Amino acid sequence: MMMQGAEVLLEQAEFIGVAVIVLVLAYLALEHKEITYAVFFFGFMAAAVAGFYLLLEAPFLVGLQIAVYTGGISALIIFGVLLLPRAQDSSLEIFQTARRRRFGLLLSGAVMLLSAILAFFYPWSDLPPVSPPELAQSLQGLAAWLWSGHGIYVEMVALIMLTALVGSVAILKMMKAEELRPLTTESHPESAGKKDESGSSSAPQTETGEGAKEAGPE
Amino acid sequence: MRLFIDFNYVFVWALLAVALVVIMLAASWILRPHILQNSDKTSTYECGEEPIGPARVSYPYSYFLYTILFVIVDVMGAFLWLLSVSQFRTTEAAVWQMLFFVLLITAGIGFALRMFPQTILSGKETLKLYREGKARRDSQKTEAAQQ
Amino acid sequence: MLIGLGAYGMITKRNLIRIIIGAEIMANGVNIALVAFSVYTEVFTFTGQSLVIIVIAVTAAHTALAMALMLMYNARYSTVDLGEPVVSEGRRHE
Repeated sequence: MMMQGAEVLLEQAEFIGVAVIVLVLAYLALEHKEITYAVFFFGFMAAAVAGFYLLLEAPFLVGLQIAVYTGGISALIIFGVLLLPRAQDSSLEIFQTARRRRFGLLLSGAVMLLSAILAFFYPWSDLPPVSPPELAQSLQGLAAWLWSGHGIYVEMVALIMLTALVGSVAILKMMKAEELRPLTTESHPESAGKKDESGSSSAPQTETGEGAKEAGPE
Repeated sequence: MRLFIDFNYVFVWALLAVALVVIMLAASWILRPHILQNSDKTSTYECGEEPIGPARVSYPYSYFLYTILFVIVDVMGAFLWLLSVSQFRTTEAAVWQMLFFVLLITAGIGFALRMFPQTILSGKETLKLYREGKARRDSQKTEAAQQ
Repeated sequence: MLIGLGAYGMITKRNLIRIIIGAEIMANGVNIALVAFSVYTEVFTFTGQSLVIIVIAVTAAHTALAMALMLMYNARYSTVDLGEPVVSEGRRHE
């Protein structure tokens, strides 16, 4: 099934368009000063990456990406931002050291160089162009590969989900024990996870009062 | 047909959605009276008092578990949907596999919901902490008044 | 390129939430690369796509645990800032 000229042009234009959108959104997600804007840009970027999957003939991944990433993980991060009023201040980015930034640029430059070498010098065009299957058939093939061919991976995913749940419950219990500890002796790493109800500490409701009071004179 | 050509209408729709938002914002900006704003006008309203500090409240941590639960149920639903549109979903091996998968994740969700009351502060504990905090604040106030 | 952006974000940012976002961006870049590999090989198998499904699920669990750990960090040190790598005896004892 050979493509006509107009289709090839449209595909390349679309690829460049989606690539530019994704990169711009990702950069904004990392660099924007307000965190709430940043996580929203991340959600948008995940939806644009789903556009990439459309180009690459993966229909199930489009839906999965939007449902899990934009609808789930992005909401998770937004929730984390919501729970932490301290993280919403924009004064934390002024003190980046130049050394760290150079190291970061060096590392990411090396990664990008490697992938560029892989993309341009590997003989992709020697491989015969494959015509991907139709929509319904690709879903069947995918389900066959995942569930019946390599079904062990699905059970492993179930185990990973179980681990995530148990771990987060444990962490929340530890946080509750932290809140019940006395406030005056905090930041001591050796007394972690003690469920000590004898001291006086601040409940989450009274913590907001102190949080607003110490944010005022700042 | 190639997939993205089938989905052309989705892109047109997305562009229209963005254009709609932009047009609404631009129209309201055009029609707005441009008057100089000073800090008194743009400060938040607080029933006549002066607002102290940013208006950011920290929500209870107990809601976080539900978000995690949603993500896990979402992943489970995606896997099950993939199985439901396949041709071999009624074979015995597939049913056992799916059952094992669902049982594992449901066991995790059940464990999380069973342990959920232990992760949030119950009523008695909250009351106790509030009273202790109040006593501490009152003692600090009397100390400050005595000095 | 997304992998490079995510790696840069993870290294340079001090705000913990941005580090988590950087990890997510990197994971997305990896997924795109995986699907691209699956399309451009000789025989069209579903290896890349299925692996991406599993990687998305694993990334979701990883993000959930990372957010929980970040909440714990915030509860302990009442900030989300990582601070400069100063050689001292530890965190600020305020």
